[in-house]
Amino acid sequence: MNNDVVGGVVLLVFDAAYFWSTQQIPVSMLDDAFGARGLPHVLAVLLAVLALIITFRGIRALRNAGAAAGGEGSVGEDGADHEAPLGRALGLLLIGVGYILVLPVVGYPLGIALLIATIALYEGAARNWRIPAAAIFGGVLFWLMFNVLLGVGQPSGWLF
Amino acid sequence: MIDLSTIWTLSTTTWMIPAALIGLVWGILGGALPGISASITMALLLPFTYTMEPVVAIVMLASVYIGAEYGGSIPAILIRTPGTNSAAATVIDGYEMKRQGKAGEALGISLWSGFLGSLFGLLMLVTMTEPLSWLALSFKPTSYFGLGVLGLSVIASMSSGSLVKGLAAAVVGLMIATVGADPIAGINRFTFGVPELLGGIEPVLVMVGVFALSELMVQSGAPELSTLKEKIRVRLPSWETMKSLKRSQAIGSIMGLFEGLTPGGGGSIAAFLSYNEARRWSKRPELFGKGSPEGVAAPETANNTVASTTLIPLLSFGIPSSNSTAVLLGGFLIHGLLPGPRLFEHNADVINGLYFGSLVAIVGQLVFGILLLPACVWLVNRPRPFLSAYIMALILSGVYTLDHSLFQVGFVLAMGLLGYLMRRCGFPFLPLILGVVLGHMVESSYRRSLVLSGGDHTIFLQDPIAVGLLLASLCFIAFSLWRDLRDARKSRAAGQLEETHS
Repeated sequence: MNNDVVGGVVLLVFDAAYFWSTQQIPVSMLDDAFGARGLPHVLAVLLAVLALIITFRGIRALRNAGAAAGGEGSVGEDGADHEAPLGRALGLLLIGVGYILVLPVVGYPLGIALLIATIALYEGAARNWRIPAAAIFGGVLFWLMFNVLLGVGQPSGWLF
Repeated sequence: MIDLSTIWTLSTTTWMIPAALIGLVWGILGGALPGISASITMALLLPFTYTMEPVVAIVMLASVYIGAEYGGSIPAILIRTPGTNSAAATVIDGYEMKRQGKAGEALGISLWSGFLGSLFGLLMLVTMTEPLSWLALSFKPTSYFGLGVLGLSVIASMSSGSLVKGLAAAVVGLMIATVGADPIAGINRFTFGVPELLGGIEPVLVMVGVFALSELMVQSGAPELSTLKEKIRVRLPSWETMKSLKRSQAIGSIMGLFEGLTPGGGGSIAAFLSYNEARRWSKRPELFGKGSPEGVAAPETANNTVASTTLIPLLSFGIPSSNSTAVLLGGFLIHGLLPGPRLFEHNADVINGLYFGSLVAIVGQLVFGILLLPACVWLVNRPRPFLSAYIMALILSGVYTLDHSLFQVGFVLAMGLLGYLMRRCGFPFLPLILGVVLGHMVESSYRRSLVLSGGDHTIFLQDPIAVGLLLASLCFIAFSLWRDLRDARKSRAAGQLEETHS
């Protein structure tokens, strides 16, 4: 499957969910002629049309010998040559989710140190003293920067 | 009009000058990191500007942009890897000069050309933006609706990728903007009982997730870059060299001006165009690609000019024409400022501060560009896993400071996934960001106009500005559609020709 088909199908699924949600918007006596549902409805219809065009274009590209499959501009906007596969990229995201979950327990300095150590390991840093050193340094540095220097408190947990 | 007394007051009573220099330093360091573009460097700083005075925040972000354009040339020259996209053209002759033992000279030419390009860009910004401010008094709700539609259609049709994908990205952006209370009756939409969504979604969250976090995701597992061992010092060009670079710098300035004004243009296109033109007009074109100083001067002048001229459509019409100006727009919005005609009327101090702060950053670039080289080299030599870890920590910590909400941190992660998928499927970012930013204005001005007319749509035809803007939008979409169809027909014909030959 090429990127256009994947992109088009994802957009269609998202659009269906969005359209369903527009039905939950209450109608008010204060509404104008267009109403609170007006723009969301128009947008849902527009996106459905655009997603269908993208999907059909992708299917046609697949049929046309596959040479032009992928459509134009499959490289990111910032032009990076390397493109991590979805699983690898999701792994990084999951580490972020883990950080949010452990933060209320371990508190900010320890949480951020754990985040740094985990990402460094995940990204392939050599398993030596540098990882704990970078994590501890980062924990102290970020805590000092936010809590002391900038005065914007980061979340505290049960431990710290 | 430039108001010197306002500039003096701002300089003496606010942190504007230190902010310009801090932003510049941040920009040079961020730009020097390959993979971290100017827009990402700005997005990383965006949450920190939340508590600053508006003028200080805007000056700091604009200075980051100026610094990042020079910073990008450092790894381009030293390790053949552009720090930012717009420094890609600098690699060609910059790295050749380094191989010939002239790295210091190449960096000096880049710095000097960047300085001249930025100064020229600032001059254009001041002279071209001011006359447009008179439009402020003529704008009605219908005109603002037309302006919003024009902005979306221009960016969707001119961004990288196809028209359809650009439009789809813009629609998704508008959908994100519909979350929260609707602008007329205050009815909650798409909040799903989550209190954090009642006030809508801050564009800054979308920007940080889509620009910065998605870049980390895309770069995950990337191999290490080559490291730099030798010690290098920036050498500013001699008077003779400066004279020999005049032509290429003039070409870079002109290309930078036009590309800055073009929606969807930007530093990288300007840099490559000016490189080609400089070679065409050069007295020694055979040296291009073999370490020509002109080959460094032209693209560096161009991309630094763009850093200022790209602010012209942003300040005049509120339309960001590049990713970096979209992030700068986020900075304006954080402080309740909407660039466009009314900004000149109501917030002239911010405009004056921006002009002066940019000048401070441009002059400071000559000093800090030399002083920061060892720091940039040290940063470029750091192992990628640790850089990624620290950048992720900075993103997640910075976002929390916006509203002290872990929900928002989670939302940024979701936006990171959206950005990653968009990159993989070839959807441009700028229309999405513009949809998020302009969504509220488009809907509220449309509905306000209808309330004023009692539901009569002909009110849009009674405002000549709105009619002009809407017609221009139609023209842009029609032109892009024609261009897409022509390209598709050409590639089909080329495919058939190949089949016949084989």
